[in-house]
Amino acid sequence: MTYSTELLKGTLKTIILKLLADNKKMYGYEITQKVKELTSDKIQLTEGALYPTLHALEADKLVTTEIEYIGKRMRKYYRLSQEGKIKTKEKVKELSNFMESMVSLLDIKPKKF
Amino acid sequence: MYCLSDLEVDFILKDIIARGITTEDIQYNLLDHICIIIEQNLEQNGDFKEFYYSIIKTFYRHDLSEIEAETCILSNYNKHVVLNRKQFFFLIFLIFIGPFIAYNILWIDLNWQSSRWHIPIEIWGNSVAYALWPSLIFLVIFLTPEKFDPLIPKKINDSSGHKAFY
Repeated sequence: MTYSTELLKGTLKTIILKLLADNKKMYGYEITQKVKELTSDKIQLTEGALYPTLHALEADKLVTTEIEYIGKRMRKYYRLSQEGKIKTKEKVKELSNFMESMVSLLDIKPKKF
Repeated sequence: MYCLSDLEVDFILKDIIARGITTEDIQYNLLDHICIIIEQNLEQNGDFKEFYYSIIKTFYRHDLSEIEAETCILSNYNKHVVLNRKQFFFLIFLIFIGPFIAYNILWIDLNWQSSRWHIPIEIWGNSVAYALWPSLIFLVIFLTPEKFDPLIPKKINDSSGHKAFY
């Protein structure tokens, strides 16, 4: 089962920022694979969503970039900026609070592990 | 594992550009992404072009330029100054009425000793015509949004037809 578009909307930036916080520096393809791996294929980031978002994060100065040349092509690594680290904490907290609200709103009982 | 030649890398980059990706950052990110997929999934003696055309299709719904459009939307999203109603009307009041109020205060301050509250009719007249009446009109619009609010369109249509990717 993969999640619907509506559920993923608005969480993509938080997902990317958190992954960068946990993994120091990553490039686009690596991010898509990490998300697939961590969610057991339930969330599959499309290139059409990922790269525009990374571009926007860079424009907002939340990430810094590093270029590595692999033969004729270049690989762009993304790393959280100081501002990005602060923003990540805010975004994760906001999403966490939102999920708690949804749990109580929809009367969902969290699974016991 | 397939090993891409420089010519094949050039071919992919040119095709990405031809398909409407103009942002260099996106071009190189897509190029690297596609190259990795090809290198990891195409067999050593596989058909490069056939494989490339099959995977590029998975990157879009209608055409690849959707990614460019999405990039523009996201990049410009935070660049617009968005005002709420109160801020908007405050700005309107400030622009239209602020100069008259400031002028009146200045005039009173400069001429206080000689005129006290005997403010000439030109000052009152201008203030009433250019400051008081517009203030009242804006106030009515501000207080009755359901009737006169020009900021709320009667019918909202998404004319762009653009759908975000996710």
